[in-house]
Amino acid sequence: MNSAVRSRTTLRSRSVQTAVAAVAVGALAAGCSSAGGEVDGGDDDGQVTIEFMQWWEPELPDGALAGLIEQFEEENPDINVELLSGPFASIKDQVIAGSASGTMPDVLGLAGSWVHDFATQGSIANLTDVMTEYGYDDSQLGAQVRVDGSAYSIPVVNFAYPMFINNELMEEAGAEVPTTRSEFVQVAQQVTDATDASGFVAALGLEQPNGIQIDIMPWNWASGGTMLTDDGGPAADNEDVHETVAFIKELWDAGVMAPGGLTMAEQDKVEEFTNGRVAMMVSSLAHINLIRENSPELDFSVVPMPVVDGYTGESGVRYAEWGIGMSANTEHPEESWKLIEFIMSEDANGELSGFANGFPGNANVTPDLTDADPVFQDAFEIWQAGYPASEFTGLPLADELMRIFDQELQHVLAEDKPIDEAMSAVQQEWSGTF
Amino acid sequence: MTSLRHSRGNAATAYAYLSPTLVLLAVLMALPIGMVIWYSLQNNVITNANPQLVGLQHYIDILADSQFHAALRNTTVFVLASVGAHLVLGLAFATLLNTPLLPNRIKTVFRTIFVLPWLLTVAIVAILWRLILNPSGVFNYVLTTVGVLDAPKEWLGDPALALFAVTLMNIWYGYPFFMVSLLAGLQGISADLYEAASVDGAGPIRRFASITVPQLRPIIISMTLLDLIWTSHQFALIWMSTGGGPLDRTELLSTYTYKLAFSQYMFSTASASAVFFLLISALLAYAYVRHQKARD
Amino acid sequence: MATPTLPRQRDRVATAAPAVVRGLTTRQRRRIALVLTVTGLVLGATFAGAPILWMLLSALKSNSEIFAYPPSLLSDNPSIQPFIGILQDPRQLRFFLNSYVVALSVVALTLLVAVHAAYAFSRYEFPGKHLMNVVVISVQAVPPVTLLIPYFGLMVALGLYNSYAGLILTYIVFTLSYAIIMMTGYFNTLPRELDEAARVDGTSSFGALWRILIPISLPGMVSVGMYTFMIAWNEYLFALTLTRTDDMRTVPIGIQLLMGQHSYDWNQMMAMSVLGSLPVIVLFVFFQRFFIGGMTSGSVKH
Repeated sequence: MNSAVRSRTTLRSRSVQTAVAAVAVGALAAGCSSAGGEVDGGDDDGQVTIEFMQWWEPELPDGALAGLIEQFEEENPDINVELLSGPFASIKDQVIAGSASGTMPDVLGLAGSWVHDFATQGSIANLTDVMTEYGYDDSQLGAQVRVDGSAYSIPVVNFAYPMFINNELMEEAGAEVPTTRSEFVQVAQQVTDATDASGFVAALGLEQPNGIQIDIMPWNWASGGTMLTDDGGPAADNEDVHETVAFIKELWDAGVMAPGGLTMAEQDKVEEFTNGRVAMMVSSLAHINLIRENSPELDFSVVPMPVVDGYTGESGVRYAEWGIGMSANTEHPEESWKLIEFIMSEDANGELSGFANGFPGNANVTPDLTDADPVFQDAFEIWQAGYPASEFTGLPLADELMRIFDQELQHVLAEDKPIDEAMSAVQQEWSGTF
Repeated sequence: MTSLRHSRGNAATAYAYLSPTLVLLAVLMALPIGMVIWYSLQNNVITNANPQLVGLQHYIDILADSQFHAALRNTTVFVLASVGAHLVLGLAFATLLNTPLLPNRIKTVFRTIFVLPWLLTVAIVAILWRLILNPSGVFNYVLTTVGVLDAPKEWLGDPALALFAVTLMNIWYGYPFFMVSLLAGLQGISADLYEAASVDGAGPIRRFASITVPQLRPIIISMTLLDLIWTSHQFALIWMSTGGGPLDRTELLSTYTYKLAFSQYMFSTASASAVFFLLISALLAYAYVRHQKARD
Repeated sequence: MATPTLPRQRDRVATAAPAVVRGLTTRQRRRIALVLTVTGLVLGATFAGAPILWMLLSALKSNSEIFAYPPSLLSDNPSIQPFIGILQDPRQLRFFLNSYVVALSVVALTLLVAVHAAYAFSRYEFPGKHLMNVVVISVQAVPPVTLLIPYFGLMVALGLYNSYAGLILTYIVFTLSYAIIMMTGYFNTLPRELDEAARVDGTSSFGALWRILIPISLPGMVSVGMYTFMIAWNEYLFALTLTRTDDMRTVPIGIQLLMGQHSYDWNQMMAMSVLGSLPVIVLFVFFQRFFIGGMTSGSVKH
């Protein structure tokens, strides 16, 4: 090969190299610059933008949360709030992703079962410190979710979980509202026999194992039971829990539970009830809006959870909260706290709880029952007659604890695993996690 | 020319053409794989600022985990059943679509219908089949009305049926890929071969067995290997229909790994599981590469 | 490709004398074959099409009708409201916009990168060629979930988390391998004399690629492009984890977001599914000739 050819070849190949490499670099650079614009808070004219991620907006009447946020922005003209909304399950994934990648939203909705994990990972801020720093009087807060003595989440709205009953189906089956477990078994059987619907439904899918604290453990708490020892250790193998599981197994074996429960998610369960395919479910008051919206004609009411035969003590009423917290690494702690303060203020908090059919997190707000859904008024009485119970809140790896329980429960239901064996397996695994 | 093609300058040119590919693969493939291996040797990565090295501990944990065994078992069943059915259905439909008996326009209509499932998003497939397979859904209704079933079944909720149900979903979703490739192959087979066979007195079945299948063999083998790899990666279909349940009956390696990382935050253990998964896929890749090499 | 061979195949069937069904006239035999073929096609079409028809019908029902048992085929009161609802919701439309931006960028970049790599594999001999070929092929075997864990950190470090660029680059990695293999196969079917003749006439290698090979490879590129578009349009796992805000999310995630915590808007989900599938279906209907042709060159070698 002569030198002329070679030089031409190298020249050519160099220009090719340049062209091709430019494509690659260009693609990468374009990516970086566009991303850069995205990540930045955008403070061009002294404005601060904070992100508020929660699953509340889809569950509230249209525009309710946006309206409150607008009010906040009017009161604080230098703060923009970007609402990041999504369904509960995806919000959780997003928050985990954010905490792992250091891109947490500034302010975020928190479920009680997440708090311990996020707090120990150092991804959510210690609100006790924050409140001290900004001189906030926390006596107006109804509750605070604490880890090692410090608050990390503030309940904004609390939702009780009573028993929802489809009145039409009950009438069709000629059944009365059950008050004890044995009456419940009987009523569920009556409904299953006399109608096309099932008696009861539990959503035990493992994607979101929270069916354990929504559909199963409330039975335990309603009869004064617990799943913890006096000093907060696990006691999944105690007699109360055992009896509760045996009760669920009885329902399952009698065939009165809606089919498909083992892979159902919470929304499937509510769907079953809303469409009249099941007569009774344990569910959140947050669902009143939704049931009314999707099935305006459905005649339903809420009643206290049935208790163990002969139990006369007070009932634990399962509740869940929409908690609020902030990122430990937010660049705008002051603005973030302002938003939290606003949401916890008497006016905003009262309004939000009213929209959501929940009980306000601000202790000074009394729920306004005059315009409330009549079902909500009944629920308020149930709430006041009992004591609040939510044993999973604040536990380490709470979702994992529920998953362990759920798996064993599925073995009990579907494969007749002895309850003793299943519960000691749960207890053993829980002990490892605590 | 030949000498020019082997010259150094030409090698440089070839590398230049390959450079964007190599940069992308290095940054977005080699580096992450290195990272995941590194994660798998430590404890509490990502969630903890100061992870410690723990060597192969996570691999030992994974191998001892009965859930992992279940995932391995389910993945095997799911993949073999899916790929087998994809092959059979794909070949059957491709042969039907290649018929000389119908005008092209009609065949185009059928071809489009046959391909439809493949054109849907996995997310849609999962949701659609959840609706169809619901205990009070249309599938049960049709089967009970026709008399195939006495009572509605919980296709996705019954531990005994769930793996079958998700496999069915995947069969429906995945066969068109085979079909399209095989159809392309069938159209490439020279009609002279069939004519010669016919003259020799071979019937349709003989012709199928002695011409069609041998001619399609290379495509069938490549497609089967590719489909084995891709089916074993399936995640969204399972995640959005059963989430791996009931019990662990539809847990696959992909959902198992995902859950470890994003439900239980055990990123190190998840990484170890991901590396196992990678090794298994690498075996299939090895077979595929050898096959491709043999063809070249 | 099918058209030229068709008349000959027809002749063949008419004149052949299969041994299986002796005693029947050619016409009878043909009729039986036709009936069997049509039966098979109709059965297959039912299997393939019925679920999709159900999706379409469900999108026209109200939510309570979707849950009625026994199910009805058609709504008493068919309504296109779910479709209108989605098309009027700027948030949902944004998902579509995002999907288009991402998918089209992935197609363009994948083709650009793959064509050059395929050119190198098809027309050059260089040290390490075999190894690189193996690497490109093996990349297809890397389970996506394996990459998911490190991708978080990586995308954040590159500043690409929750951006178009992050998704686009991720998808290219998944589409590139298959695209290179298919394009290499396609180039291999084109005679070397074509570009070598151009080279002798003084065209650079780059010019030979762009002026000679690429124009005549358009059918192959359409096929690869369609395939790439499908992958990018349909991807779920990374879209879920690498985006965070609604203005970056794609259609598959949009569909999932319609599954609220407490309810499914089934009719809306079905409507969104129909709308979300349309672009791919339209592409296929228009380009299926190229597509199937492209698959031939990619996978068939004689």
